[in-house]
Amino acid sequence: MKMKRVVSMLLTSVMTLSLVGCGGSQSAPATDTASESAPAATEEKSTESTEAAEADSTTEEAQATSDAGDGEAIDLTMWCIATESDSNRHSYEAAIADMAEKYPNVNFTWEAFENQSYKTKIKAAVAADEMPDIFFTWSCAFLGDFVEAGKVYCLDDTYENYKSELPEVMMGNSTYDGKHYGVPLTMNIVGLFANMELLKEAGYEEIPGTYDEFIACCDALKEKGIIPFGCAGKETWCVTEYLESVIEKSAGADTLNDIFAGKATWNNQDVADAVDTFQKLVNNGYFDPSGIGLTNDEVKNNFMAGKYAFYMNGTWNCADFAANEEFFPKVKVGEFPVINADKAKLGQLIGGPSDTLAVAASSPHAKEAAEYAFELGKLICHYGYLDGCGLPAWTPYGDTSSVNELTQTVAGIVADADTMVLFGDTAMNADSANTYLSYVDQVYGCLLDGKQFIEGLSKDIQ
Amino acid sequence: MESNSIKETNPAFKVITNIFLAIWAIINLFPIYFMFTFSLKSNDEIFGENVIGLPKKWLWSNFTTAMGTGNMGLYFFNSLLVTTIAIAISIMAAMMATYAITRIRWKGSKLTNAFFMLGLTIPIQASIVPVYVVLSKLHWLNKYSTLIIPYAAFALSMAILICTGFMSEIPYALDEAARIDGCGLFGTFFRIILPLMKPAVSTVGVYSYLQCWNEFMFANVFISDSVHRTLPVGIKALSGQHTTEWGPIGAALVIATFPTLIVYIFLSKKIQASFIAGAVKG
Amino acid sequence: MNKHDIKKGLTIFVFLLPGLLLFVSILIAPIAVSVYRSLYDWNGFSEGTFIGFDNYIELFTNGSIKFITSLKNSLILAFFSVFVQLPFALFLALLLGRRESRKERIYLSIFFMPVLISTVVIGQLWLKIYNPDYGLLNRFLDLVKLGDLKHVWVGDVKTALGSVIVPTVWQYIGYHMLLMYAGVKGVDTDLREAAMLDGATKWQVDRYVVIPIIKPIIRVSVIFAVTGSLKTYDLVRILTEGGPFQSTEVPSTLLENMLFLRNRYGMGSTISVMLIIMCFAFALLISAAFKEKED
Repeated sequence: MKMKRVVSMLLTSVMTLSLVGCGGSQSAPATDTASESAPAATEEKSTESTEAAEADSTTEEAQATSDAGDGEAIDLTMWCIATESDSNRHSYEAAIADMAEKYPNVNFTWEAFENQSYKTKIKAAVAADEMPDIFFTWSCAFLGDFVEAGKVYCLDDTYENYKSELPEVMMGNSTYDGKHYGVPLTMNIVGLFANMELLKEAGYEEIPGTYDEFIACCDALKEKGIIPFGCAGKETWCVTEYLESVIEKSAGADTLNDIFAGKATWNNQDVADAVDTFQKLVNNGYFDPSGIGLTNDEVKNNFMAGKYAFYMNGTWNCADFAANEEFFPKVKVGEFPVINADKAKLGQLIGGPSDTLAVAASSPHAKEAAEYAFELGKLICHYGYLDGCGLPAWTPYGDTSSVNELTQTVAGIVADADTMVLFGDTAMNADSANTYLSYVDQVYGCLLDGKQFIEGLSKDIQ
Repeated sequence: MESNSIKETNPAFKVITNIFLAIWAIINLFPIYFMFTFSLKSNDEIFGENVIGLPKKWLWSNFTTAMGTGNMGLYFFNSLLVTTIAIAISIMAAMMATYAITRIRWKGSKLTNAFFMLGLTIPIQASIVPVYVVLSKLHWLNKYSTLIIPYAAFALSMAILICTGFMSEIPYALDEAARIDGCGLFGTFFRIILPLMKPAVSTVGVYSYLQCWNEFMFANVFISDSVHRTLPVGIKALSGQHTTEWGPIGAALVIATFPTLIVYIFLSKKIQASFIAGAVKG
Repeated sequence: MNKHDIKKGLTIFVFLLPGLLLFVSILIAPIAVSVYRSLYDWNGFSEGTFIGFDNYIELFTNGSIKFITSLKNSLILAFFSVFVQLPFALFLALLLGRRESRKERIYLSIFFMPVLISTVVIGQLWLKIYNPDYGLLNRFLDLVKLGDLKHVWVGDVKTALGSVIVPTVWQYIGYHMLLMYAGVKGVDTDLREAAMLDGATKWQVDRYVVIPIIKPIIRVSVIFAVTGSLKTYDLVRILTEGGPFQSTEVPSTLLENMLFLRNRYGMGSTISVMLIIMCFAFALLISAAFKEKED
């Protein structure tokens, strides 16, 4: 039974996975305790959620209503980035509709803003103390700056009630000094998407599992006149999806994570070698030379139109690919192969929960908002998973058999995961992240080699 | 063509001029065609082989999306309201200031003018947070006037600069004549200068319009409820974090631009007539 | 001080009041805040530390901020605006200003249209022109057998800046044309005819009669072109995002990165103060240059 498989896989992932957080040195012990305490809670839950999903959700509802029943009418506002054409829109709408029933006493209003301009908006709002009660944020450094400035409400007390449904590991990216400040929604990893039709032309039925085979496959593709990789050079985060995977699979997840978290310097020979490996891929002509002048929208369309064999990008793309009837049968998703087996292994992934809801410290109803944010986050996560927008940070419940096959494959990859390292530009603080991105940009353009990359970064990022 | 100049018009030159003007006109009309076809396409066509051709499938649904879920009707109204009032305020303030600077002789006039010119130099990004903090302290957010006042202020310097250009062309003899007729400074301004400034009003109007209509930064930060959102923010909100349907964005841009173009074409005769009517013997 | 002077002073004050109120509250006060903030190491929301002029020093000495590159880029743009865009706009304004017919009016409206169209559309259009695979420019080069000249236009350091300058200069030709046209139309037709009767050709009339009269408006155009170039933003964001390798950054894109991406509010304020100083200096310089010519 497919549904059961997915759920149990996800649960195993929670048990074994060490998901490396970014909230300073405290996050490591927090992770340890989580992996010890989580199994008990989640195992119990697994039987419940798979076999008695219906009953379970009813009890939850009843409980929620009783919580809310005695509250007086309050106004809550939320800002997010689920705009009309965002793939998460539907899950927000569905979740908010459910919440309106559960909390009739809350007069809830929400506004959605475009991703890039939202960053400006929320920062200005924090500066002027004009934040809404609940706001969307990215975990780690983005939220961290607000937390440090004392603008975010601590969720520790409220989280006590949700521990059984939201494993502590998932809270790692929004935990600072051991305190929880964010409600994670979905999580995503970098996936290696492949156009199987093109791979077949080059004589491959599956995504190659080892690096040598992988390179041979790229050569075979090139021979057939097929471009192996598409990558948008105009949006550097797209380059990092490739580069970070290469570094992780060469130097190992722990090394990369320590560097991102500021526990180790960039001055690391393994990283330099990995960067050189990446550049070899570029210099061998595996990447579309036009890519450097393209946006991700353009590259993604090229991939769907069959111009590239591989596209490394976030697993949020699953929903879009699944929605395209013509393209969906051709595409598969896999994990980038291991380059240096001494230091890295399969199951070391790039990604983790980043989309997060947080509560403003300035909110007059911060306590109610916190509870509301947890309930809402759980529902958004639930619907988002069903829609294929990403993997759930919360323990899934209900019937999940309708989740598209790509997302299910990703769930499988995550279930076998060993370590996850969050995207570098999310993990590092804003200033360092942008310095890092400009170096990555220069690596993609072959203006810097591995040695210059590590030397420059260790000098410019303290 | 003035009849008295025929004798020196070289026919070959005339032909070349006309061909040149026609080519330039096509180049300048092309974006409009592009925008229109763009608004009727899907992402596949926009990013595919069919870059500039007519849409293979005419997706009028993009317009329904933009008007319906995109709510462009309301945003259009908001933009129109905010822009019109902001322009009116800035023109009036600019005319008055220009009059004080150029037509009344006093010591600080040059310095005041230079002071106002400082406004041309200020990058809008730099003033967002300070203005936002002040507006928030005054509980003056999420209203139409939240945008109107800053827009009027930002249009002011350019308005003064253009008005100065026009007002200094008006002969001073007119002021003196008015004074002899017993007009005070106020009287001279309202009765003599303002009527002569018609061409400046239309010019300033057009330029201030450009500044306000497409303004994004302030509108994005200062307005947080979608009831008061303006077009640029509304259009931007049609893109998603990882997925963007460009068709409805094209449709929204058509909705935002075509009425302007139509009004402009319709008014351009009037605007140009005002240039000529306002022509001053210099 | 007599009664007349007081009355005059009061009148001046009343006339200036609305403008000053708007101007000082919305524009000048924030500049003051920026100047103050530029002396701090501050992320925009927590406590800042006073660091004196360190931001200014870092701006010019830290190569990775790319401030010098951004300045150079906007000055190159300013150069092309003043010496390509404005002469062309003036030429069109004079050509259309000479005659008075329906056709000229239509041309005038058409030439102004790119200005009315959102930069988003202009940006998207030029992206289609520059697209390395199916872009019109590369296709055209193939067609005329100049395939060697093909480039990834916005992704190549050699061509990226040019790729931004061309659309920017083109889009605002109409902007300056209309401004100058209004001036040209303000020139008395009697003056023109008188000059014509004296045997001047049309170009001579334009050169010796019209241009001197519309000089104040040309000055306005030059100031707009230069300060506009220093503050240019939209098309850079859409076409290159400041890339490749930050080679097309302009001060405004850097400013925004500092303020809202890198959370370096202090440094962002420093850039804006520098930008204001430069724009103002250029505006004064241009005004002075025009004065000198007049004298």
